[in-house]
Amino acid sequence: MAQEKTLLAMCRHAPYGHTIAREGLEAVLACAAMDQVPEVLFINDGVLQLLEQNPKTIGEKNLRRNLQALPMFGVETLHVCRRSLEERGISLDNIDVPGAALALVDNPGPYIAGFDQVLSF
Amino acid sequence: MQFTLVVYGAPHASEGANTALRFARAVLASGHGIYRVFFYGDGVHNGSALVAPPQDEQDLLSQWQDLKIAHNLDLTLCIAAAQRRGVLNDSEASRLEKPSGNMADGFELAGLGQLAEAAAVSDRIVTFGS
Amino acid sequence: MTLHIVSQSPFSGSALKDCLSAFADGDALLLIEDAVYAAKGQTITQLKGKSVYCLEPDAVARGISIDPAIEAIDETRWVSLCTEHNPIVSWFR
Repeated sequence: MAQEKTLLAMCRHAPYGHTIAREGLEAVLACAAMDQVPEVLFINDGVLQLLEQNPKTIGEKNLRRNLQALPMFGVETLHVCRRSLEERGISLDNIDVPGAALALVDNPGPYIAGFDQVLSF
Repeated sequence: MQFTLVVYGAPHASEGANTALRFARAVLASGHGIYRVFFYGDGVHNGSALVAPPQDEQDLLSQWQDLKIAHNLDLTLCIAAAQRRGVLNDSEASRLEKPSGNMADGFELAGLGQLAEAAAVSDRIVTFGS
Repeated sequence: MTLHIVSQSPFSGSALKDCLSAFADGDALLLIEDAVYAAKGQTITQLKGKSVYCLEPDAVARGISIDPAIEAIDETRWVSLCTEHNPIVSWFR
C-alpha cells in the first residue's frame, strides 16, 4: 500500500503500568509491516520505555524486545522529547536501543503539527 | 471527509466509548463518512455480546449495532487485543479451545493492519481514550 | 494546525499539562469529558491566549459553567473543528 499520509505514533505511557505501552508498540510494528511506516515520538512517561528493564521479576515480557524490532521494520530513528527525559532525570547515556538512532525533539508542538495523522498510545 | 475513530475505552467503564458514539453520530449527521471504527485495548469489550447493563441505563452495544445497520459502519475489533481480553467469535473460540464465542453481531475481528490501512486512507483519525 | 483533545481532569493527572507542553502557535484545544473541569477556576490562567473550546454537553452534565474566555461547542461544531484542523491528537490519561 502506498504511503500517502505521514503518520506519528506518540508513546506517552510507562512500560508496565498499563497495556497501552505494549499495544502501542504492537500497533507501530503493524503499521510499519503494512508499509505505513510511522515516526515514533516517546514523550512524557513514554520515555521510560527506553530504559533497560528486567520485568522477569514481575512475570512480564520485556517491552524492549518490541522496541528493538522497530529498526527491522523500517523505524530506524526514535524521536525522544528532551524535556520529558530531563524531568525524569534520564540522560541519553542511559539509553541504547540497538540498531536505532535517537533524535531529541526540543519543541514537540511544531513537530507534532507537521504530521497528517497522530495515533496516541 | 472520511473519519476513522479509534476507541480504547470499555463500555460502561470509562466514558470514551459513549463519547465516540456521540461523535460518530455528529460526523454522520454532518454529511461526512466513517471509514472504520477500530476498537483497540479495552475498547474491544464494546464488541462483547455479553454486556448487560441495568435496564434504566443506556445500552452502548445496541447503539453501536443500530448505527451500523443505519450507516453500514465498519466496526472492527483488534483481534490481538480481543483475544487478550476474552472477546472471541465462535471460530476463534473453537480454535483456542475456549467454551464459547461471545462476539456481538455487527462486529468483525481483524488484525492491526486494519488500523494501518485506515490511517492510510482516512482524512482524519480521532482517538477516544480509556 | 493541531487540534488537541484532552479528556482527563487537570486535578487527577498530567494530560492537560502534557498537552500544553506540546502546544504550537495556532493549535486549538478542546476539553471533553473530565477535562471540562479545566474550564473554570484557576486552570483558566494556563489557557490564556490559546484557542480553547469546551464540549458543552459534558460540562452541563457535570454542573460546570464554562468560563467566558472559552468557547462552548456542541458535537456538530466538534466535527467541523476536526475538518478545520490536522492532525488531531488525544491526551486521555
